[in-house]
Amino acid sequence: MPKLIKDGAIIDNQYEWQQDPEAVISANSIVSAQKWLAEKDTLGDVAGIWLEAGDGTDILNDVDLNQFDVIGIHFPAFADGRGFSYARLLRERFNYQGEVRALGDFIPDQLGYLLRVGFNGFQFAEEVDLEKALLLHKPFSVAYQGDVADPRPIFLRR
Amino acid sequence: MYQYDAIDQQLVEERVAQFRDQTRRYLNEELSEQEFLPLRLQNGLYVQRYAPMLRIAIPYGMLSSTQLRKLADISRRYDRAYGHFSTRQNLQLNWPKLEDVPDILAELADVQMHAVQTSGNCIRNTTTDQYAGVISDEVVDPRPYCELIRQWSTFHPEFAFLPRKFKIAVNATESADRAATQVHDIGLHIKKNEAGEIGFKVIVGGGLGRTPMVGVTISEFVPREDLLTYLDAIIRVYNQQGRRDNKYKARIKILVKALGIEEFRRRVDAEWAHLRGSESTVPMSEFERLASFFTEPAYQSLVNQPEVLVSKLADSAGFARWYERNTFEHKQAGYRIVTLTLKKAGQAPGDATAEQMEKAANLADQFSFGELRVSHEQNLVLADVRQDQLIELWEAAKDAGFATPTLGLLTDMICCPGGDFCALANAKSIPIAAQIQDTFSDLDYLYDLGNIDLNISGCMNACGHHHVGNIGILGVDKKGEEFYQVSIGGASGHDASIGKILGPSFAQEEISGVIQKLMQVYVDNRSAEERFIDTFRRVGIAAFKEAAYAKTN
Ligand code: HEM
Ligand code: SF4
Repeated sequence: MPKLIKDGAIIDNQYEWQQDPEAVISANSIVSAQKWLAEKDTLGDVAGIWLEAGDGTDILNDVDLNQFDVIGIHFPAFADGRGFSYARLLRERFNYQGEVRALGDFIPDQLGYLLRVGFNGFQFAEEVDLEKALLLHKPFSVAYQGDVADPRPIFLRR
Repeated sequence: MYQYDAIDQQLVEERVAQFRDQTRRYLNEELSEQEFLPLRLQNGLYVQRYAPMLRIAIPYGMLSSTQLRKLADISRRYDRAYGHFSTRQNLQLNWPKLEDVPDILAELADVQMHAVQTSGNCIRNTTTDQYAGVISDEVVDPRPYCELIRQWSTFHPEFAFLPRKFKIAVNATESADRAATQVHDIGLHIKKNEAGEIGFKVIVGGGLGRTPMVGVTISEFVPREDLLTYLDAIIRVYNQQGRRDNKYKARIKILVKALGIEEFRRRVDAEWAHLRGSESTVPMSEFERLASFFTEPAYQSLVNQPEVLVSKLADSAGFARWYERNTFEHKQAGYRIVTLTLKKAGQAPGDATAEQMEKAANLADQFSFGELRVSHEQNLVLADVRQDQLIELWEAAKDAGFATPTLGLLTDMICCPGGDFCALANAKSIPIAAQIQDTFSDLDYLYDLGNIDLNISGCMNACGHHHVGNIGILGVDKKGEEFYQVSIGGASGHDASIGKILGPSFAQEEISGVIQKLMQVYVDNRSAEERFIDTFRRVGIAAFKEAAYAKTN
């Protein structure tokens, strides 16, 4: 399986992102949130769920998210920024502590923003050079707004 | 004026380094065209008809003379020694080389400037009244609030990839709305409530382009400490729920319209309920800190209408005209606000040469505490000029081509770059502006016609705000030929309205004739002192339409 950036390091990916609704689900699967919601009683254990852009996070309102090791968020195109809000909501509103993993068509140059809204896992497209991507981890050493890591805006820090 | 501290400076410098690396990787083909696109756009870099176009941010229109000199210098060394001031209080360079852009940005950073988020689907440069801080009837100076918004919106991690670009404008006066707030994604009107507390009336969902709309009020009063959490709530709803399937339907105005304002407000309030009171609530100390950058300059105590001014007004018709038209009442006795017009015949509206920029910078140093503003109507403003120095300033402004005494008149038009520069254009717009300037060169006639906003765009994107011109001219393409559609009745102030299309489009050479006919209908129908827009609103479109097509039909 392709490698992954997680918590600032390149690691082996232990989970399988299942996009095919017919795929066989195992305890290592990341299944679509819609599928999980519809079939959770029969699916058995999964590593986590993933949100499609457009799903929103409200569908998870009644779910105990901390049962999942990972919640994936799919970027159908890197310019589709819905996932930025989803990740932030998972962290700040649902208080989700596990891995929030970016999936799909995002690019290394977005890492700075993705990290700030609470992503900590990055499953890049196969052709991305992860060593090079890591160099783009932290483009800015300061920020004006609060974020998931530090909710204080600049005016509480100046 | 706001001064960067070490943090602001570090951020722009890190942005330069980041963009330098992105440009290098693009040129090495490590980044694809498609990946580089949003990265360069978020740094104001378009690829245009003949060359890249770089849009430099002038936050809420404020410029120091040092900054303007730097812009002149950059335009001379990296471009063709001129720049274009835009309706969004930015400066556009039309001919920079892509390879040079990182160096240009580094030089801008030296004078506390940047091109961050001047383009792309993110929160753009916030605009405001060019007379902010110096007019007597404003609720408070809006500029500290604009700076607060600038900082909050700069590299906002959640909102860098919105469905579409996002523009915020701020106004703080009841008597006028020079920032066209009602045709922005969010318009903010600074208010005081009965308890004397400062807050914002928030208007949402205005915008031009293909589907022009006047915004609607979402909240009558958001206390100022809650501004940022409220903006976060609105944009978070938009980011998640705005349409992304069709770029023409992706603006917030479409979402607001589709949901209806009640439902949109309900969703924003639901979001805000979680955000309100959080760390992003702005403390009083921050308002005070920001306001401390916009304190009054060292005004002298002077009287209004000093003797030299009064006598010059009496003996020089040219000066009196300029005074009447291009200067504006100041809150401080003995001072006047002066607009340096960039509407000289023969020069594209809003264009300034490097030499003119330097001259304007010198005038700012000599007459206005070293500061200038850029206006939505594509002019420059010296906000703090002593009345007893107006004559000297006028002479110098004439010499630099800044004293065309037509502010607010038909020939003080807004005009986008159109087909001469812009790859998206359907038609040229600068030659239309020139044609109208030639035709309406008689000052007495122009003065008689009075205040008229004439706005020209080269295509539906409406960069020239044609929909909200009292007269709007839009370039259209008919089977590969350039034609122009004329609309009337638009307005961009507190009485904002979208103009109505007169009828079939006109050939380029017909335009000034059509405008003459429209003016004749106005002159024939107006009651004393009635503005063009009011006559139009009273008599309706029929008479104008009939006159415009009289000969051709
Ligand atoms: C030559 C380069 C330019 C390009 C490629 C360009 C591109 C565009 C595009 C694509 C839109 C449509 C946005 C939409 O429909 O949502 C737009 C709108 C706009 N642009 Fe430009 N533009 C250029 C120059 C300018 C200039 C010179 C100005 C100011 C004089 C300007 C100010 C605006 C404004 C005010 C709007 C309308 C905003 C609204 O929808 O409310 N642009 N531009
Ligand atoms: S209105 Fe059209 S032609 Fe004019 S600058 Fe905008 S995109 Fe270009």
